[in-house]
Amino acid sequence: MNTPTPRNTMIELEDLTKRYRTTLAVDGLSLTVHEGEALGILGANGAGKTTTVEMIAGLRRPDAGRISVGGLDPHRDRAALRQVLGVQLQEGELHGALTVNELITLYRSFYPDPRGRQELLQLVDLEDKADTRFEKLSGGQQQRVSVALAMVGRPRVLILDELTTGLDPAARRRMWRTIEQLRHDGVTILLVSHGMDEVERLCDRIVLLGAGRILAEGTVAEIVELAGTDTLEDAFVALTGQELFEEEIA
Amino acid sequence: MNTVPTPSPAAGAVPARAHRPGLRTLLAMVRAEAKMVSRDLAGLIVPFGLPLLILLTSASAAGQEEIVAGRTALDLFVLPLVIVMVVTMMGVLNMPSFLAYYRRAGILRRLAVTPASPMMVLLAQAIVSLLQSAVGIALAAAVAALAYGANPPIDLGAALVALALTTAAMYAVGMIVAAISPTPNSSVAIGLVAFLVLGASGGMFGGRDALPGPVAEIGSHLPFGAGVDALSAAWAGQPLPAGSLFSLAAATLVGAVVAALFFRWE
Repeated sequence: MNTPTPRNTMIELEDLTKRYRTTLAVDGLSLTVHEGEALGILGANGAGKTTTVEMIAGLRRPDAGRISVGGLDPHRDRAALRQVLGVQLQEGELHGALTVNELITLYRSFYPDPRGRQELLQLVDLEDKADTRFEKLSGGQQQRVSVALAMVGRPRVLILDELTTGLDPAARRRMWRTIEQLRHDGVTILLVSHGMDEVERLCDRIVLLGAGRILAEGTVAEIVELAGTDTLEDAFVALTGQELFEEEIA
Repeated sequence: MNTVPTPSPAAGAVPARAHRPGLRTLLAMVRAEAKMVSRDLAGLIVPFGLPLLILLTSASAAGQEEIVAGRTALDLFVLPLVIVMVVTMMGVLNMPSFLAYYRRAGILRRLAVTPASPMMVLLAQAIVSLLQSAVGIALAAAVAALAYGANPPIDLGAALVALALTTAAMYAVGMIVAAISPTPNSSVAIGLVAFLVLGASGGMFGGRDALPGPVAEIGSHLPFGAGVDALSAAWAGQPLPAGSLFSLAAATLVGAVVAALFFRWE
């Protein structure tokens, strides 16, 4: 195993808990993400992935526990945090009647030093759709606009929830190259995904969630080794199955 | 498992002072809202068309007989009613349905993860909606003046005060509608019921004289009736009725408090 270079802590979750009525969505989650690190969050549906990143983004208040993003509390330091945070939500619409250009103009007005319009269009390969209304775009193109808008403010932390869902293989690869460039630039990335190939390619480390708890954490090789399988996908099945088994016993 | 490096504070990772979006962002939002409205002109047919229809059907019947100080029934009753109708339709029907759509579609949620405050969206919405109201009122006044010889209010200042208070009250009612409506469709339904109740009790369907006494009395204290009474007084050059001003101010206050308590961004 390579000895990791010590880096600053960018995101720190401590004993984070969130309950929706009778469902415990996140159950005492503790996690550290370092500056410039790309962390993949994997888990079956309902594992608590989206709730966790929504709490980090300040969209939901935890019932218990502590969140720190670059030393900031997502609720107490809301204004400062939004300067360094870029978020692409799994659910979250944009103004359908505005064109891609108009949306970028609007979002650029939110930040003191935004990326250029042309740069953003190039990043997500939508230069030919600049004057097309958002509502007229395909699902994949809308997803790319959403990612572009998450990058407008030159974020230090980027949260991507289901980054490439709905994209065709070519668009997925283009998007991956964009994310790799951001990693190279030192952006801290939280990537929620169902795509094993995606997290294998893009992430330094992976957290596997089940029932709101961490089932496994480490590099791809470490998780595969822990599960005693050959691939990450097999490890995912084995480890989440183990969780289900434990729950059934309980 | 990975060895977790010793954590240390992310010095300089975040700005020392938060940049708060200001006028530039607000103007960008107003421009964006205005563009969206201009691309959905069908949405303006009812708030502009219905008051004009009432004006066209009532203006001739109102006649040219002078009632007070050179002002006719058209000036004193029809035009104030039409103006209050425009403001009510924009504030109680149109604006809440836009907000409910934004909430339902997740647009407010998407904006909530940017430095732009959702409150700024609300402000931009209100500005564009007020501009629409101004256009609707100007349209009705122009038609009334050019086609039927309607006269301006004797006390223009009082008319503007009455209009401002009526607008504040109607938009406050609209914020209650936006706050309690779970969906865009329910917003339209609740807004329509509110519009009809306020309008009917305020004399929209033939004057409050035709209503049962208690209903007419209540109607005169609700924003529609109070607004019409205040504007009529301004047109006649009489002092604005204190009861109407109090009712409009009270409606604004109640609407603001209820909206603040119950409005949800998502």
